[in-house]
Order: sequence, then structure tokens, then C-alpha cells
Amino acid sequence: MQIADCGLRIRKTLSLCPMCLKRLPAEIVKRGQNYYLEKACGDHGQFSTVIWRGDNPSIEQWGNHVPPHESEDAPLNCPNACGLCPDHLQQTCCVLVEVTSRCNLNCRFCFAQSGSQSADPSMEQLAESFKELVKKDRTFIQLSGGEPTLREDLPDIVAAAKSAGCQNIQLNSNGIRLGKDKAYTRALAQAGLSFVFMQFDGTEDVIYEKMRGRPLLEEKKAAIQACSDEFVGVTLVPTIVPGVNDHNLGDILSFGLSNSPAVRGVHFQPVSYFGRHPQPSGNEDRITLPEVLRAIEKQTDGKVKVTDFVPSGCDHPRCGFHGDFVVLPDALLRLTPKPQNCSCSQDDGNAHLKNRNFVARRWKRTLAEHQCCCSEDPGDMDYFLSRIKSHGFTITAMAFQDAYTLDIERLRHCSLHVYERGRLIPFCARYLTAETNQG
Amino acid sequence: MEAEKRIWKCGICKIELVMKKKVFSYLGHNVSHEVLTCPKCGKIFIPEGLAEGKMAEVEQQLEDK
Repeated sequence: MQIADCGLRIRKTLSLCPMCLKRLPAEIVKRGQNYYLEKACGDHGQFSTVIWRGDNPSIEQWGNHVPPHESEDAPLNCPNACGLCPDHLQQTCCVLVEVTSRCNLNCRFCFAQSGSQSADPSMEQLAESFKELVKKDRTFIQLSGGEPTLREDLPDIVAAAKSAGCQNIQLNSNGIRLGKDKAYTRALAQAGLSFVFMQFDGTEDVIYEKMRGRPLLEEKKAAIQACSDEFVGVTLVPTIVPGVNDHNLGDILSFGLSNSPAVRGVHFQPVSYFGRHPQPSGNEDRITLPEVLRAIEKQTDGKVKVTDFVPSGCDHPRCGFHGDFVVLPDALLRLTPKPQNCSCSQDDGNAHLKNRNFVARRWKRTLAEHQCCCSEDPGDMDYFLSRIKSHGFTITAMAFQDAYTLDIERLRHCSLHVYERGRLIPFCARYLTAETNQG
Repeated sequence: MEAEKRIWKCGICKIELVMKKKVFSYLGHNVSHEVLTCPKCGKIFIPEGLAEGKMAEVEQQLEDK
């Protein structure tokens, strides 16, 4: 580390030119309390993108993650030939399988650039994919799109995944059809759907009008109710856009907590500029993980604190955070952070399995909700066990990388992979787009 | 459960154990449960079923990630 005129150089890494996607050497540089990923392309100039704002927590406190030789020795073809090579540093936690690229919304922000008319994969192709994934012990799948509920045969797809041996089948959905078509939601539940990741950007319709093109709040509420009726857990997934809904994080959490146990958690996704987005991004258009953490604390009046969270367990620390809670009748019980010497928080090579089991346990609804416990003392062992199963609640985040923020050190630790033509591709490599692709 | 139906005595104090609520700590969290306790020296007896059942489950829930 050395002090240069333009800031404190924290670390060397590798990134891409946001315009032509050429691989470039890059540096993390600290200026004031903010951290930037900086790089220069011979054809397209210099780029400095904020990746971390503020010192609460500081990037060093948060990650303290210095992988050996990675910046220097990253594979020469990373990420251009991505498909999980032997140099990838993390196993698969969760596999995303696209079942359609069609959509019933036309969102301003969409990583998948949904809405194309390309043909959906056939049932046979999907069933074969599920079998291949299960053979390799990839048993946690996300059915994604596009909007998967546009497929009439989605219940059959869920059943095929279940039959192939997938243990956890998550649906990524905007919820519109789930709320309107209760027979369809019931068919999904009966086919073996485990839980829903539901796009939920806020508690105000103006937010949906800005981000999704029309008011959607009532439809979201109907979808949560429909899933609850079928005993399918819902995790709310807000994309956070500065100036649009970054004031609403506390209300989103309040809404989620007040709808426990139907709602199992909130998974924040700070906006990334890949796929379809409204304008070339500047640093003012970005919100970083520590800002999300501080906003949560401020907007919940300290009910949830920055210190309740720890870095993502099976990805790079700068890729996300998680907090584990239990919703009590009159309070929120914090379970994170664990003591620092706790062996369960160290990656012993099974972090992806621990994470997979953990989220499945928290996001699935269980019969514990129907079991009576004599005690209502949150400290009582029987009550604690019953309540954590019925009213466990996670607050998590994932900061996806775009061509400005992509850091190969982070990419190589990715555990969320997209399955495509027999290959497993790290999520941020699969959906990477050059800025010149934007209209 | 069978263990709790028997009469157990403290090996040191030689008096009958009684059920008493005790607090168990793990990873910074406390949960309480009634276990056989020596009224004199305070030593407790944890039956195998409790150790491998609820206590293990609490540990797993707390350390799961």
C-alpha cells in the first residue's frame, strides 16, 4: 500500500473496460472515506467507480479478505471463458435456470433484459438440465426469466425439478400472476415449489411507477397473500435505486416483519448497471452496501443495526451481507453476528452447503407454525426452537457487479451460477453488458 | 425421557435431583430448560435425549450459517 496523489491505494485487482469489456488491471483506491475501483482503457479512457462509501463499517473491517496472489495470478481468460474453470474459488450454492425470456412488465431496470420473443426452453430440455444438475449435487435451483409465471407449464417444470431430485426450488417472480391466479399458485405449491423470491421495490406505488412502469403495490400484497394461502414462503427482493426508493428501506422491512411468517425475509439488491437500465450510470446513481446498512439502521430507528450484519458467508465479503433474526410477538431477536472465533462462520470448503441449508431452512414455511408451545418466554428452549422455525427472518443483500464495478477477485468467489447449455456461469459474468449496448 | 422418570441422585451429595430451570449459553445466546439438578451442589444431569435432541437442534439453528 502506498499513498499517491490521487488517494490511498488499497489493492490491485483486475476488471474490465465498461465500454468494450476488455480485461484491464485495476486498483481499489480510497479517497476520503470512500473507495473506488479505478482502471484505464487505451481506447475508452479512465473510469473511477465508487464501490464502498463511508467507514461504518470500513471496507477493511468488513471483509478483511486478502486472497493470496489473486490479483496477480487470476486466470488469463477470466471472465471471458466463464463456465466454472478449476481456478474458480467457490462451489455452487444456488443455480439459476432461465425458463423464459418473456415478461409481463417492461421494467426500466432489468438485468435479464426481459421481453424478447426468443423461444422458451422445452420441458424436455429443462427436465434434462435438472437431472444433470442433481447429478453434480446442485440441488438448489432458482427458476428465473423473464417472468417464469408466463409459462402455463411452470407447475410441470417445478414437478420435473422435484422429480429429478432438486431439494429446494425457488421461483423468482414479480408476483403479478401469483396474486391473480390462485389456482396456478396452488398448482405450483402442490408441484413442490419451496419458496418465492418476489420483486418488491417498496411500499409506495410511486416507486413502482418509476421502476416498473405502473403501480403494483396491491398486486404485490395479493401475491403474498396467495402464497401464504398455499403455505409457500416469500422473500421480498427490492432493487434499491438512489433517489427512487432508498428512503423506503425501513418501511420495506416493517412491511416484511409485520407479514411474518408469510414473509420470510428481505433481500436487498443495490442497483447495478447491466442489462436494461435507464441511463449511463454515474457514481451518484449508485448505492453501496455500507450505505444500505446505515440506511437500514437509520430508517428502522435503530431497531436493526449495522452491527447486526456480517458479510455473505459463501461469496466474496463485498458481494453481500446477511442478518439472521427471529420475529417475536413484540420484538426482534438478533441472532447475528456470531462470535468471531465461531467455526461455523469460517469457510471450511463447505460454505456453499451451509448457506444452501441455512436459507432453505429460513425461507421455507414449516409445520412448526401449527405446533403449540406452552411457554411464551422467548428464552425458553422449546419456545425458541418453535419460534425460530416458524418466524425466522433474514435480512440479506447482494451487490451484483456490472462492467464498471466488476472485480475479478469477487467474481471468482461467486456461488450463484447460471446454468446455460451445460455450463455453470457466475451470475455477474452471465449478465455482463457493455455500456455501449444501452440505448 | 426414560431417564427423567427414574430417581436420580447426585453422585457427590447423595441426595435426589430435582427439576429446575437452568440457562444454557451458546454463541452469545441464552435459552432455558428444566433439567435434573442437585439442590445442594447445583450440578445438573442432562439426559442423552436432550443433548442429542433439542440442545443439538438449538446449536444447529444458531450456527447454521
